[in-house]
Amino acid sequence: MGEILRVGFMLMLVAVIAAVALGYVNSITSPIIAEQKEQAKLDAMIDVAGSLASGELTFDSLSVPELENPYAEVDETLAVVSVTDSTGTELGYLFVAYGKGYSSTVQTMIAVNTAGTVTGNTVLYQQETPGLGANVSNPARFLYQFDGLNASSLLLSKDGGGLDSITGSTITSRAVTNSVRDGLDALCEAGLIPVSGGAQ
Amino acid sequence: MSIAQDFSKGIMRENPVFKQALGMCPFLAVTTSVENALGMGAAATFVLVFSNFLVSLFRKVIPAKVRIPSYIVIIATFVTLVDLLMNAYLPALHQSLGIFIPLIVVNCIILGRAEGFANKNKVLPSIVDGVGMGFGFTLAMVIMATFREILGNGSWLGFNLLGESYQNQPMLIAILAPGAFILMAFILGFFNIMEKRKRGGAK
Repeated sequence: MGEILRVGFMLMLVAVIAAVALGYVNSITSPIIAEQKEQAKLDAMIDVAGSLASGELTFDSLSVPELENPYAEVDETLAVVSVTDSTGTELGYLFVAYGKGYSSTVQTMIAVNTAGTVTGNTVLYQQETPGLGANVSNPARFLYQFDGLNASSLLLSKDGGGLDSITGSTITSRAVTNSVRDGLDALCEAGLIPVSGGAQ
Repeated sequence: MSIAQDFSKGIMRENPVFKQALGMCPFLAVTTSVENALGMGAAATFVLVFSNFLVSLFRKVIPAKVRIPSYIVIIATFVTLVDLLMNAYLPALHQSLGIFIPLIVVNCIILGRAEGFANKNKVLPSIVDGVGMGFGFTLAMVIMATFREILGNGSWLGFNLLGESYQNQPMLIAILAPGAFILMAFILGFFNIMEKRKRGGAK
């Protein structure tokens, strides 16, 4: 009996020390991590909005929900902010598209002008297969094709459109493409951009 | 055994992947590109050195009956600390290694060395053993990733080797899971033949 108590106590001691160390480090790092995430999001917004026009642009901060896990479903209500230039003229919108990929919810930030044409994009978050779907983060592999398109032409060639998917990563490519198209359709329904294809 | 031997045995003679067949999960999963292999190798080496250090330091305090759960707690705590600190202070590095760090907890090389070496040896040899095993693991990962990245993507460490036309139509199976198993069989087979030849020569 005494032996069991002694051994159990030692194990408890190890666990308690570990828990205290983790709690302490977490209390120091969590505000720094949150701040960095916010900064990364703002940098992405500035970068993507820069594709609408050069010069000074103003926009509100977009709220990007914290995902509980990489596969979390995201509420369909679309968060959109409008981008205006220094004279107050509305140039376009920024929004984040959530596409359920192969092993994560891929979040893509999109800039679209008032005519409904995508002008810029960047992947905010993905946890797709390294070497395959993860290539979606490299703009030269896939997302470069989005610029200059509107909702009607956002379709993979496998689905009858004109976009080449990443080799071996059709699920990721399709998730991103369809989520962006859904986002544009939602903007269209909200009356912010003209009906798909009407820009031509 | 000398300190130099403690270091060098992990690279060839007792290489964790080729000779002990440990750490197969990351060896198969993360070797899709050389960059990933190097990242995983570096992160695992880091954790291995510190877990060997702590296990060796407390080898006389931790009761034998609960040593395994204690080691797991030590390793998991350390991995989480690395994850949090790296996320806060080295965000660029965390971005590229982030997904591999939690995987280190289940890397059996770390537990294997804690149980097989660090709990029987003094602190300094344990640290050196950790560095050596980490190097051996990284080397094995890079060898595997070299084959997979060149065949499956036409590049090495991101540099395009085989040209645009190959990249558009690569030998994709090398990057997918079945290709990992096939290549692993070839690589392990090669090392086993080498081993047999060496033994035959010594007779």
